[in-house]
Amino acid sequence: MTASSPDGKKIFETSRIYTSQATDSRGTQMVLGPENKLGLIRDTSIQPFAPKEESIEVPLPAGLRDAVIEVDLTYRPRPGNVYPIHKVVRKVSLDQTR
Amino acid sequence: MPKTNSMLYHRAETSKWRLGILTALFLLMSAPVVRGEAPTQASTVDELIKMFDSSSCKECHEKIYEQWEKSHHARPLIGMDDMMLLTQYLKRVARPDKPADQAVKSDFPCFKCHFPQIKYGTDAVAGEIARAMINGDKATIRKLNIGCLVCHNEKAVVHGHPEKNVVYGNKDIPDHEGHPVKKSPLLKNSLLCGQCHGLGPVLDSADMPVQCATLYGSYLHAYIPSGGSKTCQECHMKGGDHYMPPDFNKRDDLSARLRESLPIEVETLPYTFRAPDEKLPMVVVKTKITSKAGHRIPDG
Repeated sequence: MTASSPDGKKIFETSRIYTSQATDSRGTQMVLGPENKLGLIRDTSIQPFAPKEESIEVPLPAGLRDAVIEVDLTYRPRPGNVYPIHKVVRKVSLDQTR
Repeated sequence: MPKTNSMLYHRAETSKWRLGILTALFLLMSAPVVRGEAPTQASTVDELIKMFDSSSCKECHEKIYEQWEKSHHARPLIGMDDMMLLTQYLKRVARPDKPADQAVKSDFPCFKCHFPQIKYGTDAVAGEIARAMINGDKATIRKLNIGCLVCHNEKAVVHGHPEKNVVYGNKDIPDHEGHPVKKSPLLKNSLLCGQCHGLGPVLDSADMPVQCATLYGSYLHAYIPSGGSKTCQECHMKGGDHYMPPDFNKRDDLSARLRESLPIEVETLPYTFRAPDEKLPMVVVKTKITSKAGHRIPDG
């Protein structure tokens, strides 16, 4: 997720990784590859019937009242191999009335 | 008349003969059970391919066959972007200090799911496959597939063993051309897929424990307990389609499929928080991703 000023300057960036994470069951370091993985140590993947919710506070620099928020969800099975899933762009303003 | 020693001896000898005959008869009659039906072992890749050759199915089941030909099951040893899956694994992991081209079956625990037919091949077949991998012989590797007879015979029965020369389907067709068809209810059960699509660690080999897919485990222990009721086939083989998506080489299709499976909601709240000593202008971004899948995403 990124936040940018209206002129395109990035002011904030963060990400979340959703994946099952395995060790080789001999230590606590996460490993990759079917020949190394044995079991799971943590699982942040997207589960059936369990919506994944995030709430992220994006601080706005002094004087900036407008921003562009971009949320991207992608699938990345290998480094450099990116499958886009969702891209949501929102223009926000502190001057919005609610 | 009292029994004499000679009569007793004769009786003992006769008893021995009867015991011997009975034993022989028992052994002859039980020989098929004792020996069992040991599967024929192929000693070359071509022999093994021939044992599982499903090309004749295409004559009558052309549409299904063509769907299957486009699926990943038709190329289980070729990964995304036409990459051979196991070459680097063979060199770096299975046989880092030994000639990779002399690999044996136990060097390929992955074959349990990626090429289960190896069960009917000798170590010579594994060696031949290893040499094809080392030499970049994709033509040979492409011939190794999860064809019709893997799901419709080898994996179609778990209560007992599948019968030779029988193809399992959704109904009995005893006079089916070429071979009889017998009904197996497993074909519409998720366990058919689950046999390969993974529960977690595979500890069959002490030398090479592996863990690849955990999809079926996720289905059993996350989807079903949460109230899910669909089978793998209902989502991945709608109407009997043997294409069995996703196709990781069709990038736009995969993205579209993931988009449908993982709808997202985004809310933004721009406001200024008033702390005791300062004002904190911010935007709160809330995201919610819901899964419509029958298992965790990602998984394999």
